[in-house]
Amino acid sequence: MKKFLSALTILMTLPLTGFAAGGYSIELEKANNSLEDKDSLKRGAILFSEYCMACHSLKYMRYNRIARDLGWEDEEVVAYMTYNQNKAVDTVMTRMLPGVDKEVLGTQVPDLSLIARLKGTDYIYSFLRGYEIDEKTGEWDNKLLHGTVMPNVLEGMQRHMSSEEYNQATRDIANFLEYVGEPAKLKRHDLGWKVLLFLLVLIVIAYLLKKEYWRDIKH
Amino acid sequence: MQPSHPTPKNSLLAWLDARYPLVSTWNVHVAQYYAPKNFNFWYFFGSLALLVLVNQFVTGIWLTMSFKPSAAEAFNSVEYIMRDVEWGWLIRYMHSTGASAFFIVIYFHMMRGLLYGSYKNPRELVWLIGMLLFVVLMAEAFMGYLLPWGQMSYWGAQVIISLFGAIPVIGPDLAIWVRGDFVISDATLNRFFALHVIALPLVLLILVFMHIVALHQVGSNNPDGVEIKKYKNEQGLPIDGITFHPYYTVKDLFGASVFMFLFAFVVFYMPEGGGYFIEAPNFEPANPLKTPDHIAPVWYFTPFYAVLRAIPDKLLGVIAMGASIGVLFAMPWLDRCKVKSIRYRGASYKVLLTMFVISFFVLGWLGTQPATPELTKLARIFTATYFLFFIILPFTSATERTKPVPERVS
Amino acid sequence: MSSENTEKTNLTRRKVLTAATGVVGATGATFLAVPFVSSWQPSEKAKAAGAPVDADISQLLPGQMLTVSWRGKPVWVVRRTPEMLDILPTLDDSLRDPHSKASEQPEYCENEVRAIKEEFLVVVGVCTHLGCAPLYRPAVSSPDMAEGWKGGFFCPCHGSSFDLAGRVFQGVPAPTNLAIPPYHYLSSTVIRVGENPEEGVA
Repeated sequence: MKKFLSALTILMTLPLTGFAAGGYSIELEKANNSLEDKDSLKRGAILFSEYCMACHSLKYMRYNRIARDLGWEDEEVVAYMTYNQNKAVDTVMTRMLPGVDKEVLGTQVPDLSLIARLKGTDYIYSFLRGYEIDEKTGEWDNKLLHGTVMPNVLEGMQRHMSSEEYNQATRDIANFLEYVGEPAKLKRHDLGWKVLLFLLVLIVIAYLLKKEYWRDIKH
Repeated sequence: MQPSHPTPKNSLLAWLDARYPLVSTWNVHVAQYYAPKNFNFWYFFGSLALLVLVNQFVTGIWLTMSFKPSAAEAFNSVEYIMRDVEWGWLIRYMHSTGASAFFIVIYFHMMRGLLYGSYKNPRELVWLIGMLLFVVLMAEAFMGYLLPWGQMSYWGAQVIISLFGAIPVIGPDLAIWVRGDFVISDATLNRFFALHVIALPLVLLILVFMHIVALHQVGSNNPDGVEIKKYKNEQGLPIDGITFHPYYTVKDLFGASVFMFLFAFVVFYMPEGGGYFIEAPNFEPANPLKTPDHIAPVWYFTPFYAVLRAIPDKLLGVIAMGASIGVLFAMPWLDRCKVKSIRYRGASYKVLLTMFVISFFVLGWLGTQPATPELTKLARIFTATYFLFFIILPFTSATERTKPVPERVS
Repeated sequence: MSSENTEKTNLTRRKVLTAATGVVGATGATFLAVPFVSSWQPSEKAKAAGAPVDADISQLLPGQMLTVSWRGKPVWVVRRTPEMLDILPTLDDSLRDPHSKASEQPEYCENEVRAIKEEFLVVVGVCTHLGCAPLYRPAVSSPDMAEGWKGGFFCPCHGSSFDLAGRVFQGVPAPTNLAIPPYHYLSSTVIRVGENPEEGVA
């Protein structure tokens, strides 16, 4: 039993010991966000609609799902995020017309539904905060993605906020995008420990049953 | 009256049994199948493999209900399952975690064979069918991995199918034939889907059946590597044997519940398996024009993939990779030692096996890493030690200084 | 004697443990079945496609019908004339379920005219027999209808007929009246089909 457990734990934690992520040359800032913080998620959703949705979509995400998971009514989510321009069952699409991105920016603006699972929450957080003025050109550049065509959309916000407020606002956006990456995550975590508890009971009973039957066997 | 064929009392059962060997099959394979009483930890993995197989079948069938096997729709339909289908996320994670769990369980199961000489006379055929199962399982997993149509799916398949191109003369045409196109495309996805959900599972099922029938024909080995059939009581039953049911059914039930606990932990709290069970680049849809920075196959293929990369020649690399799997088929004949269990074998086998296991793990790790010159050098060393196991074994095993094997299980 | 006793207690313990394992196992299997069974329910996508639809009735003339698609099914909005409404009570004796006791409709439509406002009938255009789409024959004595036709719906598949409140006539295969979907008035000219009126507002 002991051997069994220890062998499997070692085997299962083995892949966890580092070397998993792709590795960026710059150390990422920790977002320290929490999906449990519904208010943060709500603020993140609204900030996303105000600062990101002009170009970016979340095409796999429905407004009514956001409402249900974050604790809004259907009417509230479309009021807060789309100024009542959408139905609650719609998916979160950008306000930009199709094709405009290629014309104006010369590139296709990525959908952000899965960005948190692709790059990680800390990457989003660091990216949002990674804009600096390039001394040579005098233009904004991002230290995580040099030469990105994405403008520093949070510039105004940063200027009018205290650094604490700004930290929280960027954290809220990253938090919201992590939620969008896998909306079932909250439910998954909530259900998981109940299932594990149940299986623990099964383990105990199965162990006692095995012990009982194996009394017959003389070694 | 024969003890092995009691007349069923229940009339429905009697009716059935007159027309179908229900009771006798149950008796032969479960209720009166005598297994050695000294099975240890390593003997859980056979039944666990069966459990995972069932899990993959059921969750897989459910996934096909919402999955769309086309290049345009596959990626979207996976996200549809993850978000829009009720409980789709759980069923999908059970399937993706099940794939990795399958290989963990099977690697333990194979290791058991190497430790206790389960491949030796009279169980050579059990081993051969098992190895065939392993190869089919790898094909099944490989094709399944293409289906989500993410970047890793696409480029992983691209690399592996290109291996066919290394075969002289027919290679390039063969690669095109396998893909049904000049690159991995909709046609490839569609046929891989057919093979993944119908053809290969059917082959797996038949082979599992044969694996068990072959095992029960000769009887199970055990950690002492002695044949329990040698000593029988007045009824002709092995003294050191106990019926599979109820003794091993309750024991395996316990093993299965511990396994399910660990499995559920992964499903609910780390379904990406630290980026190894579900790789991050696979959250980006397949893009034939852009290769991800670093392609690594799923972890269970990496030892063999590292062998492939270690050889600086395309054809030889493919041959070496094939050989690294194929040579395992020959284990019953490469190992010439009469003693089965490692408990009573000489130091040479213990040293060799340790070297082999270390090589396997190191190669597995190397396969996940980008190929730098230093790491490639390391991969060559461990490829060499991996194969050395099979090269040295026939010589040392013939004259191994073994310990006396007990007459009966301890 | 004493060994017999231990034997007995062992057996009891064994039975209890086997039963306990059985119960826990069966409970687990039941819970495990839940995701697999409920994954057959309409997905969020299907529900989104089946979301409420709005029908603009401002252009609808008396006696006219318009069709909207709700959850993939046709929903008819018929603007009934006073004459049509006058005929309805006279038909009660020839109907199978004149007071819609056995038929499907929201509470607020369980009345003589089967509607919120008697002028507008909102009804699911699917025959309650085997799911065909009935034809709209509003005129009294329509030429292609049987003698004595008072206006209503006729299903060409198996000959079921309904009056202009969707109520089924006797002697036809359809068992119940045409279903009334949940709906409410967003304004005097827009009906939202697929959503109940809010509490207190009917």
